[in-house]
Amino acid sequence: MKARRMGIFKVILVILPLVALYLTPATASASKTKPIVLGTTDKITVLDPAKTYDFYTWEVFHNIGEGLLKYKPGTTELMPGIAKSYKVSSDGFEYTFKLREGLKFTDGQPLNAAAVKWSIDRVMRLKLDPSWLVSAFVKRVEVVDNYTVKFVLKKPVSFFPSLVTTTPYIPVSSKSYPADKVAEPTVGHYGPYKIKKWVRDVELVLEANPDYYGPQPKSKLFVVKFYKNAATMRLALETGEIDVAWKSLRPIDIKSLKSKGKQKILEVPGPYIRYIICRCNKPPFDDVRLREAVAAAIDRDRICREAYKGTVKPLYSMVPMGMWSHIDAFKQEYGERNLELAKKLLTEAGYSKENPFEIELWYTPTHYGDLEADVAAIIKESLEETGLIKVTLKSAEWATYAAKYITAGTMPIFLLGWYPDYIDPDDYTTVFLHSKWSPDMGVFYSNPTMDNLLDKARTEIEIKNRTELYKKVQKLMAKEAPVIPLFQGILTAATQPNIEGVILDPVMLLRYYLIYRK
Amino acid sequence: MASLKVYIVRRVLLAIPMIFILLSIVFLIMRVAGDPVSAILGGHAPQEQIEQIKQQLGLNKPIIFQFFGYIGQLLRGNLGRSLIWGQRPVVNEIWDHFPATLELSISAFLISIIIGIFTGTVAATHRNRFLDHTFRLYGIITYGLFIPWIGIMLQLLFGVYLGLLPIGGRIGTLMEPKSITGLYVLDSLLTLNFDSLVSAIKHLILPSVTLGVYLSGIYTRLTRTHLMETLEKDFIKAARARGLSERAVIYKHGLKNAFIPILTMMGLQFALLLVGAVLTEITFSWPGMGTLLFERITYRDFTTVQGIIVFFALIVVTVNLLVDIIYAYIDPRIRY
Repeated sequence: MKARRMGIFKVILVILPLVALYLTPATASASKTKPIVLGTTDKITVLDPAKTYDFYTWEVFHNIGEGLLKYKPGTTELMPGIAKSYKVSSDGFEYTFKLREGLKFTDGQPLNAAAVKWSIDRVMRLKLDPSWLVSAFVKRVEVVDNYTVKFVLKKPVSFFPSLVTTTPYIPVSSKSYPADKVAEPTVGHYGPYKIKKWVRDVELVLEANPDYYGPQPKSKLFVVKFYKNAATMRLALETGEIDVAWKSLRPIDIKSLKSKGKQKILEVPGPYIRYIICRCNKPPFDDVRLREAVAAAIDRDRICREAYKGTVKPLYSMVPMGMWSHIDAFKQEYGERNLELAKKLLTEAGYSKENPFEIELWYTPTHYGDLEADVAAIIKESLEETGLIKVTLKSAEWATYAAKYITAGTMPIFLLGWYPDYIDPDDYTTVFLHSKWSPDMGVFYSNPTMDNLLDKARTEIEIKNRTELYKKVQKLMAKEAPVIPLFQGILTAATQPNIEGVILDPVMLLRYYLIYRK
Repeated sequence: MASLKVYIVRRVLLAIPMIFILLSIVFLIMRVAGDPVSAILGGHAPQEQIEQIKQQLGLNKPIIFQFFGYIGQLLRGNLGRSLIWGQRPVVNEIWDHFPATLELSISAFLISIIIGIFTGTVAATHRNRFLDHTFRLYGIITYGLFIPWIGIMLQLLFGVYLGLLPIGGRIGTLMEPKSITGLYVLDSLLTLNFDSLVSAIKHLILPSVTLGVYLSGIYTRLTRTHLMETLEKDFIKAARARGLSERAVIYKHGLKNAFIPILTMMGLQFALLLVGAVLTEITFSWPGMGTLLFERITYRDFTTVQGIIVFFALIVVTVNLLVDIIYAYIDPRIRY
C-alpha cells in the first residue's frame, strides 16, 4: 500500500511542475518589440534566384533582395532599385545601368557592376527553370566601370525594364552562392530585410537590414509562418496568432470572415487570368464565325457568381484589368453577352436546331482547383442556350493536357489559365497571338497584321505608342477571337484591424517592409 | 534462443521482397500521373527548356531503366535526390521532417495507451454499468471518427472559442530551441529553455490528443475484454482469497497478465499511427513526414515519395520485429 502511494506521489511530482509551467505566461519574449507575423499556405521552394520559379519564393526575394529596377508599390510603374538610373541606346540593343555606390551584400561582399555581371552570368550558365527570362533576351553583360553595368540584348525588347525586376535578375553574392550549382544560403543578398533565421516549411524570420540604402522597414522584425492548410491559417488569423493571412484563403473563408467583420479584407484584381483557346488552324474553328459565336454566347457573369461566389471578376481582354493598355475589347465587340448575335452567326455558318454545331469542350480537373468542372459545365450550358450548339465535355489529367494535347492540337476548344512571368502586356498577348508562338499554346493562330502589331509593340520604346499598339492588338483579338477571356482572379489578404501598409497590386508581390502595426 | 535468431533473420529477409513489391507499385502509380516538370513549370517555359530539365532529371529514359537505376541506387543505400526545386538529397528532406513526426507519434502513442488502458480498466471493473457502456461506446465511436474532423473540432473549441491552445504549428514564433535531437520538447529541456518548453508542449497537445483519441478506442476495447477474462481466472480468485486489496488485484495481477495482447496490438497499430500522423499533420500544419509526403505527391516528386515510403516501411518492419522480440521475453511460453 505504501509503495503504491509513493507511485502516485511521483506522478503528481512530475505533473505539477508541468502544469505550473503551462500556466506561466511567456513574459520574457512578449516584452521585446512584437514582430509582424504573416501566414501563408505557399512555401519557399528553393532560395536561389537562378533556380526558383514560383511566385512565393519570388516574393521573398523581393524583400531580401532588390533588382536594378523595381515597381512602385500599388502600381505597375517602374522606379529605380539598386540602379539609380539607366540609359537605352538609340537602336534599343543596349541598356546601361548606373548602380548606387557603396552597397554591400549581407555577407560583406561589395555589390558593384562585377557582382551584377557575375550573378546574371551564373543564371545563364546554370540554365535552370527561370533562366530563359535572361537568356532568351540577353546576349551578354559588360562591366563598364565599378558602378556601371551594360546589358547587350539579342534583339531590342521594349519591356526589358520589367524583365530586370524579375528574380533571376536580382544579384546575389559570389561569396555565398557557388558559381556552378544551386545553393540556399541565408546570407549574400541585398534588400530591405535580411534573413535572421529560416526553418524550412516552418518559419522565416526577417530582420531589418541596417545597410539598406532606402528607408528602413516599418517593422524591425517580420515573421512568415508556413501553413499546410488554408482552414488552419484562417483559424490562426481568428485567434490572433498571425497578423496577416496571405495567399491563399479559400473563397468560403473569405466570405465568412467578411460576414463576421472582425478582420480587414483587402482585394485587388490579380494578374491571374482564365480563358478559352480555340484551335484556329483546323475545322471547325478555322471558321472565324464559330469562334465569334462562342465569344458572344459565353456567360462570364454566371461563372463568377455561381462557381466562384464573386471571388473572381469577368474579363473582356487578355490584358488584365489594372494593367496599362487594358480595354474591355470583347465587351465592345459583343457586349456582355449576345445570344442573338451567336444565333445569327451559327445560322450563317449553316447550323440549325435540327443540325446543331457539335463541339468537344476540354478542361482539366487537376490543375485549376475543385471548381473547374463547374466552370466547364456553366460554359456548356451557356453555349447550349443558343439552341444551335451541342457541347460534349471532355477532360484530361493536367500532365497529359499540358505536355501532350495542347501542342499536338488534340483539343478543338479548351480551358486554360495564365500567371505572368513578367508584368507587361507582351506576356499576355504575344505567346497566344503571334504565329511564331501560338502553336505552343495550342492556338495555331496566324495573322500577319497581328504579328506585325506585336513585333512593333515589342521593340517600341515609347510607352504611349506601345499602349496604342496593344489597344489595336486587343481590338483585333476580340474581332477574330482565337482566344476568349473568361475571368480574372482577385488577390485577397486578410489582416487584423490594427495592421497597416499591406499594399496589394497586380505585380502580386507583397512588400513586407511596408507593413506595420498601428 | 537460437530459434529466435533464425526467426529474426527470416523476418528481415522477408521484408526485402515486401519493400520491393511496395516500391514497384508506388513507382508505377506515381508515373501514371505525369511528371514533375509539367507540375512545376506549368507550360510557361519554352519546350526546349522543358526537355533540357527532363534530361537533367533523367526523366527522358524509358521507365524500366529509371526503375532499375533507382533500385540499384537504393541497394547501395542511396535514396537519391528530390526531383523538384533545389534537388536536395531525399535523406536530408526526411531528416528535416522526421523529428516532428517522431515527437507527435510518441506523444500520441502515449496518450492513446493511457486513455485506452484507463478507460478499458474502468469498463472491465464496472461491468454492465453506466461507465462500462460509456467507455464501450467511446471505443467504437473513436475508431470510426475522421481525424481532420476531430482536429478541427478541437481547434475550434480550444483554439478559437476558449483561446487556450494554439491551433497549428510546432512552436510559437521565434521560440524554437537550439536543435540537438530535433524533438522540441526534449531540446527545450536539455537547453533549459523554459519558454520554448511551454510553447512546444502547448503546440503538441491538440495534435497528439487528436491522434491519441483516434487510436485509443481499440485499446479500450482490448483492455476491457482481456482484463475481464483475466479477472475470471483462478489465480485472481486466489489473490483475492489471500486478502489483497482490489486495487492490487486489478493492477498488479490482472492488468499485467492482460497486457500481452495489448502489446501485440501496439505493434499492429503502429502502421495506423503513421497513417494517422499524415492526416493529423496536415490538419495542424505540423511540419513532419506526413505533410512532406502529401506535398510531394502533388508535385510528383517521385524520388522523395519513394524515399518516404521505403523509410515508413522500414520503420513498420523494425517495430513489428521489436514487438515480436519483446513478446518472446515477456512470455516465456512463446518460442519461434
